[in-house]
Amino acid sequence: MKNFRDIERLSSFLDGQLSPADSARLEARLATDPELASAFNDLRAARGILRKLPSRKAPRNFTLTRQMVGLKPPLPRSYSFFRLSTAFATILLTLTFAVNLVTPRLSYVGPINTGWGGGYGGGPAAPALMEALPATEAPLAAPAAEMMPQPTLTADSVATELPTAKGMATPSELLDQPPALSQPSAAAPLETQSRTQSQPPIPFIWQMILLAAGILSGLTAFLLRRSASQKWK
Amino acid sequence: MDEPALIQTAQRGDLDAFNTLVLHYQDTVFNTALRILGDEDLAEDAAQEAFISAFRSIHTFRGGSFKAWLMRTVTNACYDELRRQKRRPTTPLEPETHDGEEVDSPRWLADPNLTPDQQFEADELEHAIQHCLDMLPSEFRTAVVLADVQGMDYTEVAAAARVPLGTIKSRLARARLRLRECLRGFEELLPSTFRLEGESNS
Repeated sequence: MKNFRDIERLSSFLDGQLSPADSARLEARLATDPELASAFNDLRAARGILRKLPSRKAPRNFTLTRQMVGLKPPLPRSYSFFRLSTAFATILLTLTFAVNLVTPRLSYVGPINTGWGGGYGGGPAAPALMEALPATEAPLAAPAAEMMPQPTLTADSVATELPTAKGMATPSELLDQPPALSQPSAAAPLETQSRTQSQPPIPFIWQMILLAAGILSGLTAFLLRRSASQKWK
Repeated sequence: MDEPALIQTAQRGDLDAFNTLVLHYQDTVFNTALRILGDEDLAEDAAQEAFISAFRSIHTFRGGSFKAWLMRTVTNACYDELRRQKRRPTTPLEPETHDGEEVDSPRWLADPNLTPDQQFEADELEHAIQHCLDMLPSEFRTAVVLADVQGMDYTEVAAAARVPLGTIKSRLARARLRLRECLRGFEELLPSTFRLEGESNS
């Protein structure tokens, strides 16, 4: 057995990969070294056998289809515009719903808190606070307004709250007055609240316009894509 | 076939141009995969995978030998398959004799031009060579398949295997040495014309 360096040289010589000088040297050695010549013959035989391996025909065609390589049909330029406008209209529509839903709730939180404050603070303060506040839901605000005067209608509280009011009714007179006296001032803001509440910040017509725009552009994009893929097929 | 023009057209995404190249190279690609993997079904899958991969990355082809570039794709697909096999070893579905010897599948008996004796001889040879190829490490097998089976020159083999020319020379020498040893074990099985002693020229 020759060393691997010789085998490598013989293998390269077999493929004509040695320089002319190296080839000449190796040929001279092959003529005088039977072991080297035997190794060379074996390598040549191994290569010859490999070259005799029958070449097989491909069992089928390997041609590719567009689906195989994930090619998509060429879409018209307007397709991306319609797709974008569909997405834009959908986002805007969602935003309008969100704004209309969230805005009344935010204003609803205020009166309840101030209502309790007004109740503890005394009857006359409550209507003023209610007027100062933005519109709110009537059914929820009304019980709050009703609750406000009642805690104040005790003899003790009236006596402590209004001791310095000059020219006003005495506590006993106040007790005689029905609680409804303080209600007209609170009822007026409640009516305006109900009116303003029926109109959301973003009108319904805008939502309908956005919805129509979204559906139309989405449909157009779908049809464009479909016709492009049908043409492509 | 105007190969450079077809390549350029395929690089612009033209599938028909690429398919013309596929038809031209599919036998070479399939044979390479078959000799590296030693299994027709796996070779078919690897060849298909190689062509898909080649189409997707044809824009990266920067000239030179397209065949070598394609061979690199197919050898990569074969290595992937070999790695998969290593992770999930499978048992062949070939029927076995009572002694546990694998019975040749009908694909070995496909050539109608040979007499039964010649066919048997050819089958034996092919089986023996494939067995010896399977015994080689995958990188040696790739070198010997590309150089000796496909007849590619050293530069092309080096480009396909993405290794220096010297490495290819060394791998080829080692692979031939091991093949020589392996084929010696099959000498009595091989027909006389294929015996190592009988090979005086190539």
